[in-house]
Amino acid sequence: MIIEGYMKKNVVSIADTATIADAALLFQKKHVGILPVLNAQGKPIGVVRLFNLISLELPDFFNLVDDFDFVHDFGAIESTIPSPEVLSQPVTSIMQPIESIDKDCGLMRVFAIMLHDEIFDLPVINADGELVGIVSRVDIGAGILNSWPRE
Amino acid sequence: MLIAGILSSLLFLVTLALIFSEKINRTIVGFVGAGLMVGMGIALGFYSESQALEAVDFNTLGLLLGMMIMVALLEPTGFFQFMAVWAGRLSKGKPVRLLVMLGTVTTILSMFLDNVTTVVLIAPVTILICEILGVNPTPYLMTEAMLSNTGGVATLVGDPPNIIIGSAAGLSFNDFLVNSLPIVLVVWIVALFLLRFLLRSELAGKPKDMKAILKLSPADALDDPKTARKVLLVLGLAIVLFFIAHFLHISPAYVALSAAGLALIWVRPNMKETLEKIEWSVLIFFAALFVMVGGLESAGVLESLVHLLAKASSIPPVLFGLIIIWVVAILSAVVDNIPITIAMVPVINGLGAAGMDIGPLWWALAFGAGFGGNGSIIGSTANIVVVSLSEKTRTPITSAIWLKRGLPVMLTTCLVASLLYALAFNYF
Repeated sequence: MIIEGYMKKNVVSIADTATIADAALLFQKKHVGILPVLNAQGKPIGVVRLFNLISLELPDFFNLVDDFDFVHDFGAIESTIPSPEVLSQPVTSIMQPIESIDKDCGLMRVFAIMLHDEIFDLPVINADGELVGIVSRVDIGAGILNSWPRE
Repeated sequence: MLIAGILSSLLFLVTLALIFSEKINRTIVGFVGAGLMVGMGIALGFYSESQALEAVDFNTLGLLLGMMIMVALLEPTGFFQFMAVWAGRLSKGKPVRLLVMLGTVTTILSMFLDNVTTVVLIAPVTILICEILGVNPTPYLMTEAMLSNTGGVATLVGDPPNIIIGSAAGLSFNDFLVNSLPIVLVVWIVALFLLRFLLRSELAGKPKDMKAILKLSPADALDDPKTARKVLLVLGLAIVLFFIAHFLHISPAYVALSAAGLALIWVRPNMKETLEKIEWSVLIFFAALFVMVGGLESAGVLESLVHLLAKASSIPPVLFGLIIIWVVAILSAVVDNIPITIAMVPVINGLGAAGMDIGPLWWALAFGAGFGGNGSIIGSTANIVVVSLSEKTRTPITSAIWLKRGLPVMLTTCLVASLLYALAFNYF
């Protein structure tokens, strides 16, 4: 089983001229976890993950505390919103390098890579390096379960 | 012998310069330096392997190791986080009260446990509490680091320089409580008020959400109350034994190591994980410096120093003490205070050999090494820890921010300590 059959072919992407606010709107509307960033020629130059936007509100220091069991109310953090200046910055400012997978890759291999690298969504490319789809852990997981015998 | 003296001094100075330049890890520099010192000693016939072993102060190392093991056992229980969360809750989210509570908790813990561990574990919770409140964590982090530096001077086990001084001068836990604690108490209160004043603009804003603090649950922060109770009981026992160690004719190192043994047999942790938490690099660094200073001693460098210092013994002893406080403090603000302390020990001993009453000078060394650390961002490891943690927040602490607050704190605490030192001089 290869991922080609289980990926989402209609890819929601964002132009490199868009702002962070534009990206936030697109994430909300399309309910996706990742947005490839395309340049004027339509070539992907990076990705923005949902997490990159959320982390504007939930900064790095969260990794410093082992657990949050003792915090029952996140208080001011709940209502912290990125400032208009941050939201108006280009989406390329929080863009991450593309980590992609070949469309012929096996499902279990992709799943293992995602687990290991803590990735939830991954762009899929063809032999020419063109973006042809996106897979999520759910897409792949469902694909793996698909091969199980049914009673 | 003259060549041995010159060459060993040169090696020592180059090693110190490399340590202070922080270009290469200090433990590596010390390790290599110690190796070269012994090699040079064997080649020139002034220092042998067995002399090098004798030069290592196992009292200091044992006390450090024993305390480190107990901290390593206490660390995973969540006790430190529990204390910070408890302090946060008790403050009800009022900024100044939070500052005092967190500062006090950090100080008390770092008086008995390693400063760095205390700050490493309390500072992240502090940042979290500040984010929940919607306030800038900078004043709280700076206060925690500076008050723990200050408070650590009060006890024998509060700070590595104290352990070195205690061992070198034969000072007991009680000696520190009688001579150092009262002065540190005054200095600490002055530092707290000064910090409150210097950080007033950051503390002025009203927190956005004070109610959320009341929902913090200290009990949930304590992951392993059973182990925490065991280790704290043993630690309490160790502190009691520190009080009476002198009368029992046992060393503080023996108390700490036995207590660590008792805690280990009672808790029975995964030994590999526990030992990984021990700061071996610190222990090796100490041992290496002892070997180097031992080499200097064997080469007769310290004897010549004594001759040199004999002329200085005409200076009034009080003035000598004050000079030590300030010189050591200024040096400690810009470089690591451990090598300074280890290097100062033979100097003070030399003064003793030259006929000076050196009892009071040890306290000057402790005050200078301890209070000087507040002066700059790199003055103490606790400072470096809070600064690097603050870089993960919205308001990183810069060198300039630290200098504006830390330097006045350092100068004021040293000034107050100098005054009290001069007044109490005859009682030391």
